[in-house]
Amino acid sequence: MNMRSGTMLLWILLVISVGCSQQANNLADISESDEAFVLGDLLEPFNPPSLESLEQSVNAGGGWIDRPVLDSLVLLRERQAKEPILATVNQALDLRNNSDEENAKILSALGRLPENDAEVNYAAQITRATPQALNNQNPLLASSMTEFEVSSLTGFGLFGFDWNFTPFASQDSVKSWQTSKDGLYDKVIMRSDLLWSDGTPITAHDIEFSFKVIMSSQVPIRAQRTGTEAIKYVKAYDDQTLVYFHNEPLETNVWNINFSIIPKHIYEKSLADDPSLVDSDYHVQMEENPVTGGGYEVVKRDQREVVLRRRESSFMFAGKQVREKPFFETVRLRIIPVSSVRLLSLEAGDIDEMNLEPQQWSDQTNGDDFYRRCTKARGLEWTSFSFQWNANTPFFSDPKVRQAMTWAFDHQEMLGVHRKGLDQPCTGTYHPTSRWYPGSGNAVGVKIEPVKQNLEKAKQLLDEAGWMDTDGDGYRDKDINGKKRKFEFTIIVRNAKERIDLCELLAQNLRLVGVACNVKPLESATLQDKLFNKQFTAAFGGWGTGADPDTSENIWGSGQQRNFVDYKNPFVDELFEEGRKLSEDRKPWKDLKIWKNSDVIAFLQIDPDMAEKKPSREDCYAAIHALLWRDQPYTWLFYRNAYHGFNKRLRGYNFSPRGIFGYGPGFSSLWMPQES
Amino acid sequence: MSQDAENHATQSIGFWAEAWVRFRRQRLAMAALVFVGLLAMIAVFSPVIVGTKPIICHYKGGYYFPAAGYFYEQWENPIFITDGVIYSYPQKLKQNDSESWAIWPIIYQDPLRRVRDGEWNEGSGNPIGSAGTPSRRNLFGTNDLGEDVFAKMIHGTRIALLIGFVSTGIATVIGIFVGASAGFFGGKIDWALSRAIEIMMCIPTLILILALISIIDKPTIWHLMVVIGVFGWTGIARLTRAEFLKLKQLEYVTAAKALGFRWPRLMFRHILPNSLAPVIVPITFGIAAAILLESTLGFLGIGAPDKTSWGRLLNEGKENLQMWWLIVFPGAAIFLTVLAYNLIGEGIQQATDPTLKSSKH
Repeated sequence: MNMRSGTMLLWILLVISVGCSQQANNLADISESDEAFVLGDLLEPFNPPSLESLEQSVNAGGGWIDRPVLDSLVLLRERQAKEPILATVNQALDLRNNSDEENAKILSALGRLPENDAEVNYAAQITRATPQALNNQNPLLASSMTEFEVSSLTGFGLFGFDWNFTPFASQDSVKSWQTSKDGLYDKVIMRSDLLWSDGTPITAHDIEFSFKVIMSSQVPIRAQRTGTEAIKYVKAYDDQTLVYFHNEPLETNVWNINFSIIPKHIYEKSLADDPSLVDSDYHVQMEENPVTGGGYEVVKRDQREVVLRRRESSFMFAGKQVREKPFFETVRLRIIPVSSVRLLSLEAGDIDEMNLEPQQWSDQTNGDDFYRRCTKARGLEWTSFSFQWNANTPFFSDPKVRQAMTWAFDHQEMLGVHRKGLDQPCTGTYHPTSRWYPGSGNAVGVKIEPVKQNLEKAKQLLDEAGWMDTDGDGYRDKDINGKKRKFEFTIIVRNAKERIDLCELLAQNLRLVGVACNVKPLESATLQDKLFNKQFTAAFGGWGTGADPDTSENIWGSGQQRNFVDYKNPFVDELFEEGRKLSEDRKPWKDLKIWKNSDVIAFLQIDPDMAEKKPSREDCYAAIHALLWRDQPYTWLFYRNAYHGFNKRLRGYNFSPRGIFGYGPGFSSLWMPQES
Repeated sequence: MSQDAENHATQSIGFWAEAWVRFRRQRLAMAALVFVGLLAMIAVFSPVIVGTKPIICHYKGGYYFPAAGYFYEQWENPIFITDGVIYSYPQKLKQNDSESWAIWPIIYQDPLRRVRDGEWNEGSGNPIGSAGTPSRRNLFGTNDLGEDVFAKMIHGTRIALLIGFVSTGIATVIGIFVGASAGFFGGKIDWALSRAIEIMMCIPTLILILALISIIDKPTIWHLMVVIGVFGWTGIARLTRAEFLKLKQLEYVTAAKALGFRWPRLMFRHILPNSLAPVIVPITFGIAAAILLESTLGFLGIGAPDKTSWGRLLNEGKENLQMWWLIVFPGAAIFLTVLAYNLIGEGIQQATDPTLKSSKH
């Protein structure tokens, strides 16, 4: 049941950053043209070879390489078998989580999977909280937190990845997965015991169809096309045999082939009449009672909650159990937008799990009221927050000004007071514990130290950039196109108190260096709109992490979709391109544009002797990271770690850099023991 | 007064003076009036009571009033920004100019930021989170970020009073003018204005405020006041209209007309003063309602961009339920202020209602 689609990652990121439905934008995307609908019109014409001739050409090129087909629960079980048990369940339940040691004990004891089926209460119900109502059940159109949550439970998928972001094919749906030696083809043999919720078999044709739907210009899909664009074609040779044809052999192909899947027999005929997938009567009906392929199906949804029930046909086939049975009979997502209400619900036992705000973790969950029914645990998470400077404005086009902003900000006050000392400082786009961080493992560069406020440095940089207080009003100004312009800008931020507070701290800090900053809280749909249309000067926001560093290209590549700040750097563009390639295809350092710029090479501290060598994948991303840090398109602030409160009945929770659910097994590993 | 009355035995003491006498007899209403007066004093002198900027200081050969920056940011002399003094006057003034001196507010705390370690008399900084219980240093405790609640409340008084006066002031001017015109001229004008009033009543103020805040680049509390005022005059207009309809039938108006006075004089000199009594009552209630609306917006976390609004404190309390001081103090302040205005309104009603003339309130 690891149906989390890798290509959806960045979308999830955006949801984290702005936290609301993308519906409005999607609707605006629907093309109004009267042209006839053509399935897969975005694809270049391509005639797939027959399976025999494909096999022949692959064998001529070195044959197939087997790729892992795994069960993430088994993986987790194996990992846990190697880990020492730090406490018994009863000890852990009595603990109060006030130190790293206690946290480790709680996770060690309560994060375990059940020893055997008899331990599990398969009739259990888990109730969780979610911030907004479910607007859409179609996995292709998912855009809000709730929609991703639901589609991860109801959706069908072939691939997953674990907590280390190692990709694999899911044993639940795949028999074998092979990649050709030249990296141009992926061949998947699907299992034959897969059923949609209406009893129709799930076949390779569904995957081919879904791919073509994603690649149709009239279907309003924004989230998924980024990855699938790199695929030349997907061909179902029979019900089980599926081949992905790639344009190029790329490291990222393993993520690109992971997209959402919809049933062909349901949408095949109706798509031409209504490519929006939401407007026609038939599609409205399918939206209310969708045909799904995951372990759960929605049985009730309204403005208060979404109720999902375990689907028999997802693990039973012809009267036999063919897959692991999901641990819960019912999953209930209650819509509770306010976090203080969520905490009260958790303490009252109305919900079983929630993520805690820093002040809730440090202040509101230490007493008997909380520990009577609940416990809590935390883990590192790679979700970073930042001030984002629009380079397309007279203020922030100069990197010196952006650097000045970083120096002017009081990072210590933010970490100590606003984040209660619970979070790590963020020093760029990749996490310090990742392989892509400069100077870590075998990556080039040197480790970047967190910044401490330095007003003198900030003032000096602003002076150098030509922003001076010429009229003695206390604020800096500069002649722009012959007109004097005061350094006063507005930062937009989602209307959430802890975010606004940080922007106000920035505004206070900037006053000291003669810069006026106004804070403008916006409701999240408006904020998203402004970001996408680049109608802002500065913004506060955040990104979660993709499973692969290449997903960041979407944020930093010139002209890319989520490059809201209009950052342009040909070095970075080239490095992203190189990082995707297989190592043997990569250019040597000396042929990269970056090599001709001695400043940058010195900044990255790359040994000139490396000229003939090819950069590793890690090198590429570490160099990107360092280049970004040098240019400061963002002022990176902090990583928000994962803080969770759990009902004491709950077991099997584990953290990953993408939180407790954003990986395999994620949610599927949660369970409740039999009541004794 | 009695002597005064004897001297002018032939002249009546006048409607308003009489009303004032009757108003003074009502203890609750008087107490409320004193309370509002006190609030007004607090509002005016808030930077003197609590702040981190000197009330007056001598610095680099000049005299300055940095505390005025609490009223309007730009009134804090730019020299203090350029010299980087604004967040640490006590040390930086002496550091930059050993000859300088300053007179400080009674309590050294800031409504907009946390007082840091060693900022004042080498004392430690404000505590954060639930450690910020009310203490000698932080009379009403601190909020989640260590900002002093007492300072916020004192400076918030300004907003509470301003929003009441300004928005109701705007509403009164518009309301009286529209109502008077409708009542006085009657006929088609009355019909048109009455429909306009009805249309205005259909516009939901709250949604309008939301829309406005998202359009304006730099929304301030003044925008809020204008919106509340511009869309809150309908009640006053209707009452004024009714009064005008009634009064214009009276003989003294006919007499004035016969004397050849033009309509502006009739309207504003003759009828308006006599129609004010019933209108003043909804004005006072309007002030209370405006304060409540601003607090509501602050509580909901929308619209109130000011950091010191009482409602915003309540909102913080909602997120941190164990920090009771974030709810009790601002809650009490809002309650008492709104109650005071309502009592005053009721007092005025009692005092100006001729049918209650003989009552012994």
